[in-house]
Amino acid sequence: MGIGTQIVLQDAVNGLLLGGVYAAVAVGFSLVWGVLNVVNLAHGALVMLGAYATYWFAASGHLDPLATLPVVGYALFLFGYGLQRFVINRVIGTSFLVTFLLTFGLQLLITNLALAWWTADVRSVTTAYSGWALTVGAVVVPAVRLVGAGAAVLMAAALAAIMRWTQFGMAVQATALDREAARLMGIPVARIYARTFALAAATAGMAGGLISLSFPIFPAMGTGYTLVAFVVCVLGGLGSVAGAVVGGFLLGLAQTFASAWVGPNYNNIVAFSALILMLVVRPAGLFGRAGHFRG
Amino acid sequence: MAEPTAGTSLTRAAEGLIAIVLVLLLAFIPLVASTYLIRILTGIFLFVALASAWNLIGGYAGYADFGPTAFLGIGAYTTGILMTQAHMPFPLALAAGGLCAMGAAAGIGAVLLRLRGHYFAIASLGFMLVMEQVAANLEITGGGSGMNLPVARGFTPFYYWMLTLALAAIGTGALVPRLRAGYALGAIRGNQEAAQVVGVRPLPYKVLAYVGSALFFALAGGVYAYWFTFIDPPTVFDPDFGIQAIVMVLFGGAGTVLGPAGGAIVLKSLDILLTNTSGLLHNVFFGGLICVLVLFAPRGLVELLRAGRRHLPDRRRLQRSGAG
Amino acid sequence: MMLLEARSVTKLFGSLRAVDAVDLTLAAGEVVGLIGPNGAGKSTLVNLISGLERPTSGTLVFAGHPLQGEGPAARARQGIARTFQVPQSFGTMRVRQNVAVAALFRGQPAASVPLALREADEVLEFVGLTAKADAVAETLTTPDLRRLELAKALALRPRLLLLDEVMAGLTPAEVDGLIAVVRDVGARGVGVLVIEHVLRAVMGLCGRIVVLHHGQKIADGARAEVVANPAVIQAYLGVPYGAAA
Repeated sequence: MGIGTQIVLQDAVNGLLLGGVYAAVAVGFSLVWGVLNVVNLAHGALVMLGAYATYWFAASGHLDPLATLPVVGYALFLFGYGLQRFVINRVIGTSFLVTFLLTFGLQLLITNLALAWWTADVRSVTTAYSGWALTVGAVVVPAVRLVGAGAAVLMAAALAAIMRWTQFGMAVQATALDREAARLMGIPVARIYARTFALAAATAGMAGGLISLSFPIFPAMGTGYTLVAFVVCVLGGLGSVAGAVVGGFLLGLAQTFASAWVGPNYNNIVAFSALILMLVVRPAGLFGRAGHFRG
Repeated sequence: MAEPTAGTSLTRAAEGLIAIVLVLLLAFIPLVASTYLIRILTGIFLFVALASAWNLIGGYAGYADFGPTAFLGIGAYTTGILMTQAHMPFPLALAAGGLCAMGAAAGIGAVLLRLRGHYFAIASLGFMLVMEQVAANLEITGGGSGMNLPVARGFTPFYYWMLTLALAAIGTGALVPRLRAGYALGAIRGNQEAAQVVGVRPLPYKVLAYVGSALFFALAGGVYAYWFTFIDPPTVFDPDFGIQAIVMVLFGGAGTVLGPAGGAIVLKSLDILLTNTSGLLHNVFFGGLICVLVLFAPRGLVELLRAGRRHLPDRRRLQRSGAG
Repeated sequence: MMLLEARSVTKLFGSLRAVDAVDLTLAAGEVVGLIGPNGAGKSTLVNLISGLERPTSGTLVFAGHPLQGEGPAARARQGIARTFQVPQSFGTMRVRQNVAVAALFRGQPAASVPLALREADEVLEFVGLTAKADAVAETLTTPDLRRLELAKALALRPRLLLLDEVMAGLTPAEVDGLIAVVRDVGARGVGVLVIEHVLRAVMGLCGRIVVLHHGQKIADGARAEVVANPAVIQAYLGVPYGAAA
C-alpha cells in the first residue's frame, strides 16, 4: 500500500489507542454526571492520583502497573466514597454553580497538595514491555498503548455490566431516573450516591494507572483530562457507557489527525471545537439522554 | 442585586464624600510611599478590577465564567503586538486590546451563552485553553517563547493605570444595577424562563455582561503586559487570575457592588502574606477557601456579616435563586 | 375576532400526548376556566400559548395572526402574560424591582427606570403587596409570591392573561380578594384563562369552563353545564360517579 495510506492507518490506530484511554477517563465522569447530576471538576485530579499511586508502586516496589491496577482502583474507591459522603453530598441538589465551585475548589486543593508533596517534576513509568511494539503490516502498535486501550475498554464493559446486571446497578439507574421515587422504594439514595461516586473515582484512578504506562505524569495533568472527559460526554451523550467509549474514540481520532495534519499543539483547540460543534448541533450527544445511566 | 438602600440624601452625600476622599488619598500615595508598597497596591488594584469585572458575568448575570483569563491574555498580546509591531503608543494599544477582546467576547459569547450554566462554565474554560494554544502556535505572538514589550519609563504610571481600572470596574458594577440592562440581568439570574415571559430576551444581556467583563480583563492584561515587559502564554493565560477573581467575588459576595472589591483587597493582602511564607501553599489556600465558602457561606462573608445572628442561607433558597 | 384561537393544537413528548388536538377560543374580556385532573395537559397548553414550548402540530392564533416561531419574550411583548404554577420570582431583587422588570420590557416605547418603578408601586397596590415592596423577593411567603407573579404579569399590560393555579393555598378570604382583582382585569378588556383546582375561584370567576383530560378537551361550555357533565365527573371522580350522574 502507498505511503499515504500507511500514514493514515498509523494515525487512525494511534487515534483509537488514545481514544481508549479517553474513554476510560470519561466513563466515570459520565456516571457521576448522569446519576448525581454533578459535573465533577476534580475528576481529572482523581486520574492524576491514580497515576501517581501507580507510579509509586512501580518506583518503590517494582510492581507492574497492571498488577497494581485493582489496588489503585480500590484506594481511589475509598477516597471517592469519603469525598462524596462527607463533602460533596452536602451540596447535592443545590444549584449547579455551587457544586461546580465545590468540585473546582477540590480540584485546586488536590492538585496543589500534590504539587507541594511531589513537586512539579514529570514522572513516568517504565515497564519491561515499555519498548515492545506489535507490527501489523506497516502499522506499528506500541504494546503499552494497546494494553492501555484494551484494558480501558474492558473496564468500560465491566462498568456497563455492573449497571445492567447487578442489583446495585439497577438501584443506580433507578436513582438516576427519579431520586424521590427511588427513595420511596427503599433505595438508600445517599449510599447509592456515595458508592456511585466511589466507583467513578475508582475508574478514574485506574484510568490514571493505564495512562501512566504511556504518558507523562505531573500534578497539573488533571485539568486536561477533565476537559477531555467533558468533551467526550458531550460527544457521546450523557448516561451511556457506550457513548463514553464512542466519544472517546472520536476525540482520540480527531486529535491525532489534527496533530498530524495541522500541528502538534492543537489538541485543546480540537477538543474545544468538537465540544462547541456538538453542543450547537446535537446537545444530547450521539447516544445520550439526560437523567439516565445505562450500560 | 439589591437596589441601593434608600438613605436620605445626606447619607448619600456622606458616602460620596468618603469615596472622593479615599480616591484622593490613593492618588497621593505614590508621592509618599515606598516602591514596595506602591507595587503591592498596584497588584491589589489589579485584582479589585478583575473581581469587580467577573462580578458582571458571574454575579449579576449568574453565569460562572471559568475562563475569563482568555481575555486577559488577548488584551496582553494585542497591546504587546501593537506596541512592538505597529509602534503604537501604550494608551492606544491598550484601547485596541480592549476593543479586540470585546469583539472576541461578543463573538464567542453569542454562541456559548446560549448554553446552560454548567456547559457554559466548561466551555469558557475550554476557550481559555484554546486561546493559550493559539498564542503558543502563532508567530506574531512569539509562540511559546513569548514576547518582549518596550520597557516603560518608571513604575508609577502603572499604579495610576491600575487604580483607574479598579475604580472604573467598581463604578460599572455600581451603575449596572440601576440601568435597564441591570434589571434584565437580575431577572435572568433569578430565573431565565420567568425573565423571558416578562419580555426579556436573555442572550443580548448575557453577552453584554460577558463583554463588559472581558473588557476589563483585557485592559488589565494590557497594563500587566507593559508592566512586566515580558509575556508568554502560560503567564497571561494563567488560570490563576480567573480563580482568584472568582474566589474573591465569592468571598466578598457575588452580585453586590462592593463585595468583590472588598474580597479582592482582603484576599490579595492575605495572599501576599502567604506567598511570603510559602509560595506553594497559595493555591492550596485558595482551593480550601473555595470549598469552605461554598459549603458554609455561599453568599460570601459580606452576606454572612450582614445576616448577623440569622441562620446560614439554606439550600432551598440557593436552589431557587441559583444559576443553571 | 377572537383574542386567542387554538386550532387542533397537539404536543407530543416522545410518545406521550400531553396536549391532544385541542380547540379553544377566548374573546377579549372573557374569563374562561381551564380545569382537569392533574396531568391533563393544562400547564403544557399554557406553555404552548406563552411560547415556552412549540406545538407538535396545530396552530395558535393571537389577535388575528398566527403565533409561529416567536419565543416567549416576543409573545410577552405582544401582550401575552402568564404566571407560573410554582412562583418564579427574581429572588435576589426586591419586590418592586421584580415588577419593574415587566414594566421595562413589555415593549411599548421604552419606559425609563424611575417610571417603571413608580408603575410597579401602582401594580403592587392593586394586588395588595405594597407592604412588601422593599422586601427581597426570595424572603416572601408563598401566597405573597403568587401575588408577585400576578403583579409581574399585570405590569406587562397584557391583552391575554394566563393564570396557572394562582389561587392555590390561599384562604377563602384571600381567594375572594384575588377573584375581585381578576374580575377587574377582565372588565378592562383583558382575556383571562384561569387554570384552577380551587372550585370556589373557578365558579366565582368563569362564565365558561373548558375541561381537559389526558390532553384532550372533554367539555367546553357554560359552567353549570360543565360541572354536571358526566364525562367531567368521571374524569375527576371515576366511572361509578360518572355513571350515576
